[in-house]
Amino acid sequence: MRNAIARRTFLKLAGGVTAATWLPRRASAQGPIRIGFTLSATGPYAVGAGITQRPNYDLWLDQVNAKGGLAVAGGGRRPIVFVEQDDRSELETIVRSYEKLVNDDKVDLVLPPWGTAANFAVAPITNKAGYPMIGPTVGSLKLKDLNLPYFYAILAQPDAMMLSLANFLKDVKRQQKLNKVAVIYVNDLFGLEHHTALMPLLKEGAFEVVEEKSYPLGVKDLTDVLKGCKAKGAEILIGLSYPPDTILMTTQAKAVDFNPPIFYTAVGTAFPFFRDRFKGSAEGVMGVGAWNPKVSFPGAKAYFDAHVAKTKKEPDRWASAFAYASLQIIEESVAKVGLDRAKIKAHIDATEFTTVAGPIKFAKGVNPATPGMVGQWQKGEFEVVWPPERATGKAIVPKPNWAD
Amino acid sequence: MNLALILDVAAGGLLLGGLYALIAVGLNLQYGLLRVLNVAHGEFLMLGGYLTYLLHVNAGMDPLVSLAVSVPVVFAAGVLVHTLLYRRLLRQERTREELEANSLLISFGLLFILQNAALLVFSADMRGYQYLDRPLRMLGTVFPTNRVVAFAVAAVVTALLMLFLRGTLTGAAVRALMQDPVGARLVGVRVPRIHALCFGLGAALAAVSGSLLSMLFELTPFVGLPYTITALVVIILGGLGSVGGSLLGGLILGVVEALGVYFTAPDLRMVISYGVLALVLVLRPYGLFNSMARRPGQAEGA
Repeated sequence: MRNAIARRTFLKLAGGVTAATWLPRRASAQGPIRIGFTLSATGPYAVGAGITQRPNYDLWLDQVNAKGGLAVAGGGRRPIVFVEQDDRSELETIVRSYEKLVNDDKVDLVLPPWGTAANFAVAPITNKAGYPMIGPTVGSLKLKDLNLPYFYAILAQPDAMMLSLANFLKDVKRQQKLNKVAVIYVNDLFGLEHHTALMPLLKEGAFEVVEEKSYPLGVKDLTDVLKGCKAKGAEILIGLSYPPDTILMTTQAKAVDFNPPIFYTAVGTAFPFFRDRFKGSAEGVMGVGAWNPKVSFPGAKAYFDAHVAKTKKEPDRWASAFAYASLQIIEESVAKVGLDRAKIKAHIDATEFTTVAGPIKFAKGVNPATPGMVGQWQKGEFEVVWPPERATGKAIVPKPNWAD
Repeated sequence: MNLALILDVAAGGLLLGGLYALIAVGLNLQYGLLRVLNVAHGEFLMLGGYLTYLLHVNAGMDPLVSLAVSVPVVFAAGVLVHTLLYRRLLRQERTREELEANSLLISFGLLFILQNAALLVFSADMRGYQYLDRPLRMLGTVFPTNRVVAFAVAAVVTALLMLFLRGTLTGAAVRALMQDPVGARLVGVRVPRIHALCFGLGAALAAVSGSLLSMLFELTPFVGLPYTITALVVIILGGLGSVGGSLLGGLILGVVEALGVYFTAPDLRMVISYGVLALVLVLRPYGLFNSMARRPGQAEGA
């Protein structure tokens, strides 16, 4: 503890000295723009954070600073620096860090942490301090209840996502008479909310639900559940799953020879890892999403290439592009209205943005401009197959058999 | 109730239970002999898994063949850890409580170091590969081939370990040390060498489990800890220091979990395993199969 205090004192002194030498030179006191956030480098959130947010933050920082910095309305370009730390996937650490970022460090802007739970924990703090924050990895309808005007969720939310899936299934049903649905969902905010949104839609579509089971986060075996689905003749499997269970479900479905005409899993399906892991067996697997470099939005292909060049790996085919889009929105807003955070918020509320993930326009903190979408792995690309106006490919139903 | 289906579910539980047993036997060997509770056990498992992954994906080596590499490497790492960290501590041992507390601190440190080292080297990305993930039809039902293979290997390795403990002079020395450290010293058992051997063996067994698990599940640097916890449940179930107890404890836990989950809900898996643990602690506080169960009055002198 004594060390920590000494270090803080030292930092204050050092900061004072730096400021003292800095101020006379630049009367406007304009250093770099400080952007604060935490991301999980360790702990269970590290997998998702490392795929969907970290690469995009780094890429954006490089790109902006290569241009000479972030353009600020009326103030020219100023370089950006990140004020960041590893939050160890601990909600208490995340909350404490953001309190410090907005109250002590008084950073210019904040970026969100990874995941629905972390964003939920932090949003009330940043909202109260008047920092606009756009979460690219947030999926929950409860968000609206919190009534946080400075917080935005950029992904299609559970209601929109499940509506799109249900509409797709109805379309398939008309053509192919697929009717028996099995729904398996992770017992966690994500799975529960999507499940709640999906079931009435299936009922409305007059589907026969032959199996409806939840499983806990960190599940190690789904063979029995999948055998049950197979025995009950499920033609459509819907897994409302997180990355490890998405992989588990797919592996084990293959291992018990369960190959329904529609095989849909949720988070993780859109990761390039999924394709590389399953190779030929990924063909025809559907999932929540979607985005790929073939979409017609300006800058999409350039973003894809820059991501690969910077990180040596492809962006995931869902939330990555939206994470980058949220940075584009901040960049554009600062260029238009400067660093006054209330003005940035007003600009975000009033503007339809053009991004690599398509047009984005917020209403009451969510982004209805992006519809829910269904993706499907086809020959190495995660094609958008629904809704038709967003499609980059045509759905393959029934899915081919698992490859050997 | 459909008997065939219940047997099917129980068999599935047995397959996973075999792996639980293997993980627990390694941890128990270390605890039973050294009184060192190695909470970094799962990290050695993680290392074994990554070694197999690397050898399979980069060198095209069959995951089972890769055991020939991962086991000696992790065994050596275990011996090294013992030599560098635990030997001095064991030599200075004053009371068992002090030893247990200090060794726990060391192994927590080890856990963080190994986890973060893996994070630096491999990043947090999930790693996995396809191996024998086709259906195997036997006993009138279907099992994932890789699970059956993993179980078979785990069974063979556990059997070999039992043979080693029962059939060789070194094995006899290990058992002697477990039963009566002072007596074993008196008859000339070279304690530091046996300690190093057993710590290495424990780590190597974790590596075997890790290599087998990498055929079934994805790897991240954080996979280890949940297995350490499962292994702790198993060794308490089977009795601290009892290798046979761990074996049976693992199998029982696997089957009870599978059946419990089947009749209730997958969400209740943890409730079921901790429920079994609580029940055993109440009814048989020294474990189901602990032949050396110390009676309360005897405990201090041992």
